[in-house]
Amino acid sequence: MAEVIFSEVKKSFGAFTAVHGLNLHITEGEFVSLLGPSGCGKTTTLRMLAGLEFPTSGDIQIGDRVVNDIPPGQRDIAMVFQSYALYPHMSVADNIAYPLKKRGVGKADRSIAVAKTAELLQLTELLKRKPRQLSGGQQQRVALGRALVRDPKVFLLDEPLSNLDAKLRGYMRVELVELHRRLGRTMVYVTHDQLEAMTMSDRIAVMEGGVLQQFAPPAEVYAAPANRFVASFIGTPGMTLMDGALSRQGGTWRFEAPGISMDVGALNDRAEPGGACLGVRPEHVLIGQGPVNGTIQVVEKTGHENIVIIGLEGGQRLTGRVPAPQSWSIGENVQLSLDAEQAHIFGPGPHGPRLNLPSNVATPDLKSAAN
Amino acid sequence: MSSSNTLLERRYAALGLMLIAPTVLVFCAVIIYPLVSAIYLSFFNIFTPTLEGEWVGLSNYTELLQTGQFWSALGNTLIWTIGTLSLQIIFGIAMALVLHQNIWFRSLARSLILFPYFISTVVAVLVWKWLFNDLYGIMNHLLISAGIIDFPMDFLGTMPNAMVSVILVGAWKYFPFVVIAVLARLQSIPDALYEAAKIDGAGPIARFFDVTLPQLREVLVVIILLRAIWDFKEFDLIFLLTGGGPINDTQTLPLLVYQEAFALNDMGRASAYAVVMMAIMLVFMIVYIRRTRSEGGS
Repeated sequence: MAEVIFSEVKKSFGAFTAVHGLNLHITEGEFVSLLGPSGCGKTTTLRMLAGLEFPTSGDIQIGDRVVNDIPPGQRDIAMVFQSYALYPHMSVADNIAYPLKKRGVGKADRSIAVAKTAELLQLTELLKRKPRQLSGGQQQRVALGRALVRDPKVFLLDEPLSNLDAKLRGYMRVELVELHRRLGRTMVYVTHDQLEAMTMSDRIAVMEGGVLQQFAPPAEVYAAPANRFVASFIGTPGMTLMDGALSRQGGTWRFEAPGISMDVGALNDRAEPGGACLGVRPEHVLIGQGPVNGTIQVVEKTGHENIVIIGLEGGQRLTGRVPAPQSWSIGENVQLSLDAEQAHIFGPGPHGPRLNLPSNVATPDLKSAAN
Repeated sequence: MSSSNTLLERRYAALGLMLIAPTVLVFCAVIIYPLVSAIYLSFFNIFTPTLEGEWVGLSNYTELLQTGQFWSALGNTLIWTIGTLSLQIIFGIAMALVLHQNIWFRSLARSLILFPYFISTVVAVLVWKWLFNDLYGIMNHLLISAGIIDFPMDFLGTMPNAMVSVILVGAWKYFPFVVIAVLARLQSIPDALYEAAKIDGAGPIARFFDVTLPQLREVLVVIILLRAIWDFKEFDLIFLLTGGGPINDTQTLPLLVYQEAFALNDMGRASAYAVVMMAIMLVFMIVYIRRTRSEGGS
């Protein structure tokens, strides 16, 4: 077991910088997801931790060792690759035993370790097969087995579930969480799938453009996104983000956008009069009555709930979520209110910072600007 | 299948036959006919210029099995094939590994390496004969300047120099084929395998034996079989370089066939040699076909 520390880690490929001055402190035994869209630097970060890429500057520490100059094989890490990277000519047993063999573990001890790992992952029946004779899910388990067999300090997982079908993915998510609980090892998990990150992680590191956007537990990332990017990236369906303007009214602030005008209460000291963004999660749009007028434009039925997209009078669109029995027809005029206590205010720009006070209290005073 | 064929399926089948018919005809004319006629001729005692002669049955075969020349030619063919093929494979893999690295002159080197393979055999042999020449050849000049030898060496006129020279020139001429095939395979080995091996603690040598070589296995089997067939029947390179000499010490089976057919004018016996050669190569071919078929099936 070991903690993992990135200190001001930067990685450039020629003129392109993939990771900018990353600081990340992963505690012992923690399950951390690196989450972000393609090209956000999450895989590069993981590969630097694995020793497959070398940081341009900064230090990476595993346990109490700075590992910058230590080759991958000596870092005491194990990695599960997106493509599984099983050795095609070796049997399942030989694949799992390989890391032990390369570390000089004797044949008898290897067999015992392989048998134990195979039992843990229900691979005992498959030990003699070659990787090409296995299904995707089985190959995935073999890759996990190869990582588990030598009990490393840190597990690195690079989108290990992305090649599985949806049902198997759901199953493997549970298995991985269970495995982490049982082993108690530090795990760093790269994914672009927010559902995986939200359901499995102790903490999520949201990255974009090579910059760490937020590093917090899943609930906090969802309820208090650090900036506009995190707000837009986390949540399905996504948070409605409306551009407008802030103005100071004594000790509190007011947000106005076409179709919406609301008091947002006190904000933190980064708030400035001028451009800003209001964010509302679909579950915080209360349809039925309220000061805001809108028209139902789209209704998406998912079975247990309906997602509705509502056009506001000012041309803005708002996404709402209602339990399945409630439904509206397209074109219907509705009144609605926004749960102001749960509304998010961000500064201008695509990475505008969160302006809400940590307590996140806003005055529940909503009204349509048109009224 | 045939009973349930629809009209459309039958039409497609007829079209298919029509489209492959020209190929089949050409194949018959240039492969089947010479093959059958060689087998036929091998039962006669034929004077080449007139192509006339008498039926001798299997005596061409019984004679060839009893003559020392056939066995020594077969021995030479095996030495030449195994020698040159081994060098082609070793240098081919080594060069492919070098060209697979991220070196700055990689594109240029990849083009240049094909040069021996593309150059005409006659030109290549002429150049090598100059290099090997004992009066003005650069090989002797370099060896004498370096103090390795005191007098010029006869590269092509004495044994074992002549066989070694032929094997070396063959390796030089044909190793680019191995380079191309191995390089193509190397480029398709996923990087993740090497990365996984690195993390599993494998050093560069272990990675070569545990990742690279097993991945090359299939392509190497095909290359070795193909090159073995081609080297076994190699004629022009050896004929032009040594003509089979000194005496008959580099005379391989194809050269012997040529000698029987056009120098000794015994087309019947030449055909018998050729048929025996074909039987030997058939073994390689059957292995090759089984190999490629099982690969396609997996």
